Amino acid sequence: MLAKISPILAYGVFLSWALITILPLVWMGYSSFKTNEELVRDIYRLPNALIFNQDHEFQVIARSLNVVLNYDPETDPRERIILESTTVAPTRRLMVYFLIKEDMPPAIQALVPGDKLVLRDLPFGTRTRIGWEMIWFNYSSAFIRGTLAQKFVNSLIYAGLGTLFIVFFGLMIGFSLAKLGFPRLSKVISALIGLGYLLSINSVIIPLFLLLRRIGLTDSHLGIILVYTAFGLPMSVLLSTQFIKGLPDSLIESAYIDGASTLRTFVSIIVPMTIPVIITISIVNALGIWNEFLLVLVLASSEATKSLPVGVFSFSSLTSQQLGWQLAALVIAVVPAMAVYFAFSKQLTQGVVGGAVKG
Amino acid sequence: MNRRDRQRVGIFLGMVAPGLVIYLFIVAYPIFYSVALSFSDFNPNAGGAWNLIGFTHYQTMIQDPYFWHSLKNNMIVVGVSVFGQIPLGLLLAYILYRKMVKGVNFFQSMVFLPQFLSTIVIGLLWRRMFSADGPVATLMQWFTGDPRAQFDLMLQADTVMYPIGFALIWMYTGFYMVIFLANMQKIDGEMLEAAMIDGANEVQVFFRLMVPLLAGTILVSTILAIAGSLKGFDLIFAITTQGLQRNNAMVLPIYMYQTAFQDFTNPMRFAYGSAISNAIVVVSFVLIGISNWVGKKLDPEEV
Repeated sequence: MLAKISPILAYGVFLSWALITILPLVWMGYSSFKTNEELVRDIYRLPNALIFNQDHEFQVIARSLNVVLNYDPETDPRERIILESTTVAPTRRLMVYFLIKEDMPPAIQALVPGDKLVLRDLPFGTRTRIGWEMIWFNYSSAFIRGTLAQKFVNSLIYAGLGTLFIVFFGLMIGFSLAKLGFPRLSKVISALIGLGYLLSINSVIIPLFLLLRRIGLTDSHLGIILVYTAFGLPMSVLLSTQFIKGLPDSLIESAYIDGASTLRTFVSIIVPMTIPVIITISIVNALGIWNEFLLVLVLASSEATKSLPVGVFSFSSLTSQQLGWQLAALVIAVVPAMAVYFAFSKQLTQGVVGGAVKG
Repeated sequence: MNRRDRQRVGIFLGMVAPGLVIYLFIVAYPIFYSVALSFSDFNPNAGGAWNLIGFTHYQTMIQDPYFWHSLKNNMIVVGVSVFGQIPLGLLLAYILYRKMVKGVNFFQSMVFLPQFLSTIVIGLLWRRMFSADGPVATLMQWFTGDPRAQFDLMLQADTVMYPIGFALIWMYTGFYMVIFLANMQKIDGEMLEAAMIDGANEVQVFFRLMVPLLAGTILVSTILAIAGSLKGFDLIFAITTQGLQRNNAMVLPIYMYQTAFQDFTNPMRFAYGSAISNAIVVVSFVLIGISNWVGKKLDPEEV
């Protein structure tokens, strides 16, 4: 009896778990292409208004101060016909497109402010261009209004350089502890660094802030990278010491006999052989830094140093009425992490099992 | 010490130094700084001078209702991870281990995924899902047939921790599942087969064989869960809106953050904030001690 029910039960449990994991993310994904109005009207319907909807209606508006131009009228004097959507934030000048008047057919050239037209009325090339711009409306708005491009680059810098230092310094210490002798000193150092396993950035954020403020490293890339490096070292040292201990001593001895210096042995023999561990350390740390929040929230006071999670968070508090933009910002932050996850899920699993990730 | 030895020491220190210096400066030094700060009257509003003044901040803390409120919520989070995430993770891992479902890799990567997404993004996503008229409320409207049904658990002080608990289980169960699965795969399969041949069913194998064999792993996971839940900040910070809702769901790390970095009129904000964050460390050591003790009581040989 039980044997017959249990597979059904097992599938039931896993399928519902997988669905509960995936469906919110799927909803977030397709909803990020919906307009605010669509999201309010029916929260589950598929996007329509922005996806090459030929009936999407526009109104011709006059140039005024609150229209942000996408061209410089000083250098480009050609006259424009300005269109604004009548359904997406009408009269708020958020969704505005420009047509060069002289390139348009006579019927459109004749339009004056106040006239209405639908996407279908436009000539084919223009229709396609505006169609694509409409699809990415939420994304381009989030990128421009939340200056997310800059925060994306900052997050890349933190994750990239932080991981580089973690790997490099961690490997240097791991190699010294494992192969250079000095057993007692090595034990002291590895115990000292092992203590860092018990700590997280959250538990010492106040002294860290005061310390970095005194030496003027708050709100700077360097300060943030230093903190990430220091807190990534315990795991990096632990894993690389374990791994390098397992490499045969004869490798290093023969390098010495050939006249290589310690540094040279490290760079040209140890580093290439440690690649599997380097990959695990890199992915786990890069993802961890990419997703970290509190440190940057506390240290970064200007837009120039904020990371993507902090940018997305403050963007979503500032634009609480623009659901579509917020969802687009969430997708922007999640997609790179998901790509790394699916590309390296084997190494990530190994890293977690090997004690690399703290719960 | 001859010249060659000195050279070797030099090389050793040269290799260790860059990382070690950063580590001591950024990780080790702030620990002492934090302890000293919590016993001081450091006033950032009036220059930098400070004296040690003893246990004053800890006395304030004991009488602070917000502290106890946050500690209570923190204990709920600990309870959700120790009695929710870990048993569920164990169960899911067992189902995968016994190959009761096909597509083990697919299911594993689905359940494991949220662990590696930004906690802030997950929090914001669930804030949206749980909003009064959001997707979850719409589902409720379909099922109950009441077009005005709203999801109001997030809005009330005594229910706000339920949806948060759900989000915590959603996020972290996969982590424990992967740890348990890896440790199950180290177990000798013959033992299980012998038990099966003797007529034990899956439930008996799970409780009589698997749980005792994994006692050590379960204890380690419990310790990880306690430490992780006590310092968790991001998820609850993002899932709640600033103000009343965040205060209702406040946990110690958020209270520490608000005290130190948002309560600008409080002259003791950094000192008191440090006292709170030291209390977090003390509480987690106590809980870890308790779970070690319980583990030894239950199973003196394995642990």
